[in-house]
Amino acid sequence: MILKLLRQATPYWFLLPGLFILGTLLSVPLYKVIEYSLYDNVIIEPDPTFVGLQNYADMLGDSGYWSALFNTAVFTIGSVVGHLLVGTILAMLVNADIHPKARTVFRSLLILPWIFTAVVVALNWQLLLNPFGVVNYALQSIGLVSEPLDWLGDPDLAMWSLLIISTWRGYPFIMVSFLSGLQSIPSELYEAADIDGANFFHKFWHVTVPQLKPVIYGVALLDLIWTFQLFPLVWLTTGGGPGRSTEVLSTLTYRLAFVDFEFSRASTAAVTILGISAIFTMLYLINESRNRT
Amino acid sequence: MSNIAIRNLVKRYGAIQVLHGIDIDMQPGQFTVLVGPSGCGKSTTLRMIAGLESVSSGEIIIGDRVVNDLRPKDRGIAMVFQNYALYPAKTVYQNMAFSLKLARVPADEIDKRVRDVADILELHELLERKPGALSGGQRQRVAMGRAIVRNPEVFLFDEPLSNLDAKLRGQMRAEIKLLHQRLKNTIVYVTHDQVEAMTLADQIVVMRGGVIEQQGTPDEIFHDPANEFVAGFMGSPPMNIADAVVDKGGIRMGESVLACQIPSGVAEGDSLRFGMRPDDIHLCDGSVVPGVRSRVIVDLVEQLGTEKLVHFKLDGVPVIGKADGRAVIQAGDSVEMAFDTEQAFFFNPDNGGRIR
Repeated sequence: MILKLLRQATPYWFLLPGLFILGTLLSVPLYKVIEYSLYDNVIIEPDPTFVGLQNYADMLGDSGYWSALFNTAVFTIGSVVGHLLVGTILAMLVNADIHPKARTVFRSLLILPWIFTAVVVALNWQLLLNPFGVVNYALQSIGLVSEPLDWLGDPDLAMWSLLIISTWRGYPFIMVSFLSGLQSIPSELYEAADIDGANFFHKFWHVTVPQLKPVIYGVALLDLIWTFQLFPLVWLTTGGGPGRSTEVLSTLTYRLAFVDFEFSRASTAAVTILGISAIFTMLYLINESRNRT
Repeated sequence: MSNIAIRNLVKRYGAIQVLHGIDIDMQPGQFTVLVGPSGCGKSTTLRMIAGLESVSSGEIIIGDRVVNDLRPKDRGIAMVFQNYALYPAKTVYQNMAFSLKLARVPADEIDKRVRDVADILELHELLERKPGALSGGQRQRVAMGRAIVRNPEVFLFDEPLSNLDAKLRGQMRAEIKLLHQRLKNTIVYVTHDQVEAMTLADQIVVMRGGVIEQQGTPDEIFHDPANEFVAGFMGSPPMNIADAVVDKGGIRMGESVLACQIPSGVAEGDSLRFGMRPDDIHLCDGSVVPGVRSRVIVDLVEQLGTEKLVHFKLDGVPVIGKADGRAVIQAGDSVEMAFDTEQAFFFNPDNGGRIR
């Protein structure tokens, strides 16, 4: 009897080391962040004071937090919409019936933004969008602007510039995901639609979109989760500025922790990121399990 | 109802030519079946009629219009696809109504037409279901409904029964035939199944390698094949065909000589291909059976119910004949088979052409 139980337990012994490492790496920091958010003067003081939910109450009264939350919403939704729009259009273009060699070239080129690290992307775009950079030069040459624009330094333009950079950086994931979805749509459906008298837009709405629907929802949620937490691209291009005009929750957390050394407040902001991400993740998991059944 | 005329139709994919200038005439209301082995160009021809493939050269005329450059929706056709191609996210009703909606037909007219067709095809209980919740046969019927509801001049069917099991295939075959009798539309139907071709068609077009081997009524194709390919392709089990040499008063296969009427134009000693359908080779079981008799050893007996297929060798050449379903016969038996040589076919060994 005991032997039998031991034998049944064998696989779980093999799982233990993995579970231990993962558990420690995930749960300890998670626990610590939540704990820090309930104290004052953590890390700096050897004996921090327990303040309960006071940090949360302070945060809710802080206009900086609300502006960061609003910016995060604009940045996240704007980026995801941008990724979806550009990704869909490009996926359809590279799925078109063109010469196989040309198709391979286009697919490889269009996936490039994805393989650069965020630092390289940020630095390149900083150079491009510099008042003396290529973008301003080009716009002036064709007469669209009379004097150079400070794309990343002007509070009215900075968020738009950030959205363009984020869209450029993030569309390949959507493109690749949709491309595989598009390739699985039987060509007979489009032919049937042709015979039924459908034009390009009818086919897009009545064949492509319904067929891609399971992919669209899952991929959009995944993108939402990633973009919501995105830090390096924002930090390295605008740094959350000018002023607070592009400050998002992730840059706010970083600034509070490593610029202002307010680790408790940083932890509090981080916990809100965690909470909102957890909701998106739950939605994603529910969608995935629904797709599987 | 429209006639279809195909004139010197050619299809090239780059340097590869898959249709070599074919001509077909289909009368209004006629059921034409394009049949042939894989890669013979039958589906390509159908897709060119539909407007899903471009025409390299030649003409496709539907009614009195050359439709080469018309879009599929303007050709007055409806098509039933091999895999049905129903819109998965739409209900049966929406699938059938889609083309009418795009054509801006008034909603009450759409509703009437969809429900009328649903009545014809007994689909009314399925109208709110999606294709995923239908069986193969039901999907097939919806695909036909979607085609009928458009009231087209011409129906195109691309191997519509190939995904169904044998029983359902027989059932749907009969339904398609009944539907044709009722609606009397011109139908072009592609299949590789010669039973479908024989049972459904008013006219059969047998194709191979992008050319037409023969076109005619099922009777003509079966009983008067133009060449060895058509003779061998149509009929199940296939025609027995073997090398033979013209002998005095008959033909010789190895050491065996079968007495038969030799066609004019061949002389003693000439080589030819000799063909006989299994239906014309019968077991001599006491009843009066016409034909030249020969004693053979049975290799295999296949029971089909109403008849048995008798496999044996005639001087090393494998041959299939038939026996009554109740005949007592088994492998290893020595039996007499009667060859009704009046029904024999002779083919040119070089080009497969019929020698009459």
